Amino acid sequence: MRINNLVKAILFMSISLLLMSTSCEKDPEPDPIHEPTPYSFVIPKGFPTNFIIPEDNPMTVEGIKLGRYLYYDDRMSGKADEGMPMSCSSCHKQEFAFENGVGKGTGTTGEQTDNVMLPHINLLWNPGAYLWNGSVASIEEDVVGTVYAHNEFASTPEKVVAAISAVDMYPPLFEAAFGTPQITMDRIAKAISQFIRTQISFNSKFDQKQRGEYQYSDAEERGLVLFQTEEGADCFHCHGSVGNPLFTTHLFYNNAKDDNFEGENDRYSVTGNVIDKGAYKATTLRNIELTGPYMHDGRFTTLDQVIDFYSEGLVYSEYAHPLMEKLRPPYGIGAELNPGEKADLKAFLLTLTDYDFIDENNELSNPFK
Amino acid sequence: MMNLLNYKTIILIVFAAILSLASSCEKVPKQATQPTTGKLQLNFDFYNEADPMEWGNNKYTNAAGNEYSAYYVKFFITRLTIFKGGETTVLNQFHNSHYVSTAVATTLQWTIADEIENGSYDSLSFTFGFNDEDNVSFMFANQPEVNMLWPEELGGGYHAMQLDGKWRLANDTLTGFNFHLGPGQFYDTSGDITGFIDNSFVVSIPSSDFEISTGSTTNLILRMHVDKWFTSPIVYDHNTYGGSIMATQDAMEKVVMNGHDVFSIVK
Repeated sequence: MRINNLVKAILFMSISLLLMSTSCEKDPEPDPIHEPTPYSFVIPKGFPTNFIIPEDNPMTVEGIKLGRYLYYDDRMSGKADEGMPMSCSSCHKQEFAFENGVGKGTGTTGEQTDNVMLPHINLLWNPGAYLWNGSVASIEEDVVGTVYAHNEFASTPEKVVAAISAVDMYPPLFEAAFGTPQITMDRIAKAISQFIRTQISFNSKFDQKQRGEYQYSDAEERGLVLFQTEEGADCFHCHGSVGNPLFTTHLFYNNAKDDNFEGENDRYSVTGNVIDKGAYKATTLRNIELTGPYMHDGRFTTLDQVIDFYSEGLVYSEYAHPLMEKLRPPYGIGAELNPGEKADLKAFLLTLTDYDFIDENNELSNPFK
Repeated sequence: MMNLLNYKTIILIVFAAILSLASSCEKVPKQATQPTTGKLQLNFDFYNEADPMEWGNNKYTNAAGNEYSAYYVKFFITRLTIFKGGETTVLNQFHNSHYVSTAVATTLQWTIADEIENGSYDSLSFTFGFNDEDNVSFMFANQPEVNMLWPEELGGGYHAMQLDGKWRLANDTLTGFNFHLGPGQFYDTSGDITGFIDNSFVVSIPSSDFEISTGSTTNLILRMHVDKWFTSPIVYDHNTYGGSIMATQDAMEKVVMNGHDVFSIVK
């Protein structure tokens, strides 16, 4: 009888354990508040396979959608009610390949930026040194910096969050993007950054040529040779070329524009390394036709002026980068291109314009229109 | 009652058997194979004569008497090969190349992926740059390697090296030199390119014997003696060859000749 009870007890415990185990398996998980949809994209042919997406800001369909609205929303300055509306798109206009088309930006208070705007093109591949001097490490940081900057929004995160929170359409968009409707500066910066990472330009004539869909004219072909040979204009060492479709090395060079660099907001101001005096980022040449005025201070308004500068306008200083080797005699002060060569070089540069990128009906355009 | 007892007995026996099996499994001595391999790490450093190279504005004088400074050097080594007795082993065959830039700290330590049989090795060698077979245009998609591309018009593929700096001219101005190596060109009398020249070369490093020990990583310093690019056997004068030499085989030929004894191993 005692043994019988023991066996019963064992059986009872076993059944109980089995039931507990089964009930645990069936216990329903709480429903996720909301899971945004991972965004997937195809890397254009020939483009880098390594790209920069922060671990704490994965790209999602809903995040990009929200970011697109915020990018174009003039209430982003947090000062629209003070008569000072401003958004990213105020200075990064699609028609100018997300540059402003006029040079330096003008903030909400009327103050101008130190340097001209940089276009938002293929920043997905920027390895983490943004702005002309590389002082900013991420797009997210740049967005927040824009809010504070005295010559941009000249605002505060609190004002921005309050302004965006007051718009009925946004809480559901934030909920879709981040799981809850809470609106914070961090989330705003993340959403805008996600959208900026979709601003990919990959359908210029150059790209079409790479894909076998376009044949260069003789002038364009000659221009390419000038672009990527030392004996020609030697643009490629700093700006990339065939094989580097970003058309930037993402590095910083003193390109022999000046001979005095006191007080410059240059790369030296970030690194303190004397060889960085007067050095600024070699920006992408994609859509260069659209992104003037040129150089960090916008001193050149046309591509012809830029080509003339590199041809015969280099200025000697001991800080000019070694790659500006055409400063030396007997070449004089530039590549010394003849008029035909200048025209050829320009013809090639114009093949870098991507009209699909600036199509106002594409997924990068203003969603409020 | 008896049935239940029998049932219980059977259960207990089964449990005991399982437990016994489990224990016995744990106690079975593993037929562990003794590892017989180790790793090799190359650490790159750069000297000018007896001193560490100072990149930037520090002034040196080369064998030709040029006062110069160097901003950085970037280069590829490929086909890293180790020798042991009569055996030759080519390492890193999956990637083939390693990119080094004095401006990118992470490139200056290279742990080769291969597990290397332990023992005493006589020497190592590598190819400086890519030989014709390996120098495939557009094989790199990502920076920084992609920034080393060599124009198709001049032979294609990638630079073997970019050593960039400045030298002082007779008129006391500084100007840039781009001491670049890659495929050379044959030109006809009208200046048209008629063919290309493989300017890669094998660097066999003397006194580069080393040990690989089981389970550990052997660290070697692969030292570039920057001054030697301009010294031996050819005294290289920037005033003769100018700042840019990618289309000047006569100059690149000198670079190749001088490059064979630019490296040493420091243990």
